[in-house]
Amino acid sequence: MNEATRVRTPVLLLCLLPGVGYLTVFFGVPLVRVLVGSFSSNKPGESFPTLDTWATLFATPVYLDGLWFSIWLGLAPTVLSLLVSLPLSALMLANERSRKLFGALYRVPLVVPGIVAGFLVLVILDRGGMAARLAAPLGLTLPRLVRDEWGLGAIIASSWKSIPFMTLIISGAMASINKEVLSAARTLGAGRVTIFWRVQMPLAKPGITAAVLLSFIGSLGSFVIPSLLGPAYPLPLSVSMYREGFQNGNWPMVYAMGTLLSVVAIGILLVYYAIVGSTGRSQPLSKRDS
Amino acid sequence: MDCSISIRNLIKDFGSTRVLKGLDLNISAGRFVTLLGPSGCGKTTLLRSVAGISDPTSGEIWLGHRRIDGVAPEKRNFGMVFQTYALFPHMSIERNVAFGLEMRRVAKPDIARRVAAALDLVGLGQHARRLPRQLSGGQQQRVALARAIVIEPNVLLFDEPLSNLDAKLRDSLREDLRTLQQKLGITSIYVTHDQTEAMALADEIVVMKDGEIVERGTPVDLYRRPAFRFTAEFLGMTNVIDAEVRAGECRLPWGAVRPVENPDERNVEGIAIRPEDLSIESTDGEADGVIEQSMFMGAATHYWISVGGKTLRSIATGGHTAVLDNGQKVKLTAPPSLHLLRSFQPSPGAVS
Repeated sequence: MNEATRVRTPVLLLCLLPGVGYLTVFFGVPLVRVLVGSFSSNKPGESFPTLDTWATLFATPVYLDGLWFSIWLGLAPTVLSLLVSLPLSALMLANERSRKLFGALYRVPLVVPGIVAGFLVLVILDRGGMAARLAAPLGLTLPRLVRDEWGLGAIIASSWKSIPFMTLIISGAMASINKEVLSAARTLGAGRVTIFWRVQMPLAKPGITAAVLLSFIGSLGSFVIPSLLGPAYPLPLSVSMYREGFQNGNWPMVYAMGTLLSVVAIGILLVYYAIVGSTGRSQPLSKRDS
Repeated sequence: MDCSISIRNLIKDFGSTRVLKGLDLNISAGRFVTLLGPSGCGKTTLLRSVAGISDPTSGEIWLGHRRIDGVAPEKRNFGMVFQTYALFPHMSIERNVAFGLEMRRVAKPDIARRVAAALDLVGLGQHARRLPRQLSGGQQQRVALARAIVIEPNVLLFDEPLSNLDAKLRDSLREDLRTLQQKLGITSIYVTHDQTEAMALADEIVVMKDGEIVERGTPVDLYRRPAFRFTAEFLGMTNVIDAEVRAGECRLPWGAVRPVENPDERNVEGIAIRPEDLSIESTDGEADGVIEQSMFMGAATHYWISVGGKTLRSIATGGHTAVLDNGQKVKLTAPPSLHLLRSFQPSPGAVS
């Protein structure tokens, strides 16, 4: 190590302090606390590092069903929102008129808090709600959409919340694509649908990934919407965490569930990256000289 | 197939602004035509209308005997090269070139063969597997060219393809473009604001201004015998001198008298003398003008000469003449005959 680096190392650390220090204090420490807490026990007299809580978590069907339900409530709205946001984003770019029309409309849910969105869906889709009353004269009976076992009401409410976020991010990513690239694709013989699949989608991939990540994490940990619109059984882990903590005082279980939820989130996102990262990469035209 | 292009009374409005004011233009098959004009003259809009990327407000565009305005751009089979190269950044070079063929459902072995041939034609065969961002600007534009010609287009369209390149690359690619177009014989329309580029490349130049065609002609005709002052000043440098024409002759400010090539012209704005046609000779005696300033440019020396209160420009070529000092008195020699310039009148129906 030479003189210059020795002098600069403390300065460098000092410069890093605001960023790294902030992350350590407000992110790292609580996360470690949660992780460590999950290895303690609720029962008096247990020694500290114990797998009791984890054993209980994985041995209780209610919790395991809750885990699957959490993943379902995270994935389903994300997929649904993506199916709406992708074409919506492409449409908004297609011409000025649709940009103005959708541009204002899609922002509305952005400013409505989750709890309000939950109640909106409740009022409209609950049995005896607006949708049911409108359908009744037509002789139609709507399926159970609120507090149903598939969590359809919660999925609808979550999607309603995340579609604007997704559209905002994806349309931004699509708008940054060079217009001449799209024009070039058209002169080469590609119609709008082909351009969407082969040019806009792959080029907007970073934006789509960001949108998927935000929506998935948001829906996975959502508490308000499933407690309002979800079924009595199974309860997603987010709702179980609340009950374990505030009703049963079982904080190690809260920590264990929180850790599990985070690990699952990371795992699913890794799978997502593995799938999406490999698509759209240029394949050689032929096997020759490769 | 007849690959001539015919444009009839083409009008394009952007809101309340009329950017194309009823253009008529015929381009014969196999010709290389340049649309030349200052920015905002409508040349790019015209090109985009031919490509189908921009929809004209009214008027007709014909490809041979087929009317194509209203035909989607993907159905026109026109190759287009853009200023920003417009390559697909996520596809390899060969995938970029293959794109148009894949859209045409060409069989896979044929695609591989034609892509390789097109890349060899532009000298980039060895870069087939790279991504566009790994290539220089000039190479990227060559790929764009390969991508446009591999589909065997009816017409090739160029939208200022050399503007983003540095001077040296621009020159070499310009030569390649010319050679290639002559070899392939594809009808080409080329938009540029660079008069040197226009003259070097085109069979024919169409000069545009404010959404109208000023005049068209071969580079030599437009440069040597432009009808309008606008053309004369846009194509290269020129001295425009107030003209007094009597009995087919014109008296120049320093007293010389020369015959006029086109004495019956109306709306005359002056006469044109190209700087390279105005030669100077230093003198100690009676002089026509005085050198105000000079600029040594290597191959030529540019002089600004004060003649009766006006400044004229002269270009002296040849490596053996000394660069004259400022303040040096000179005699001027005008070309043997002079050419009158008209003023360009926008058509009466035109809205601006």
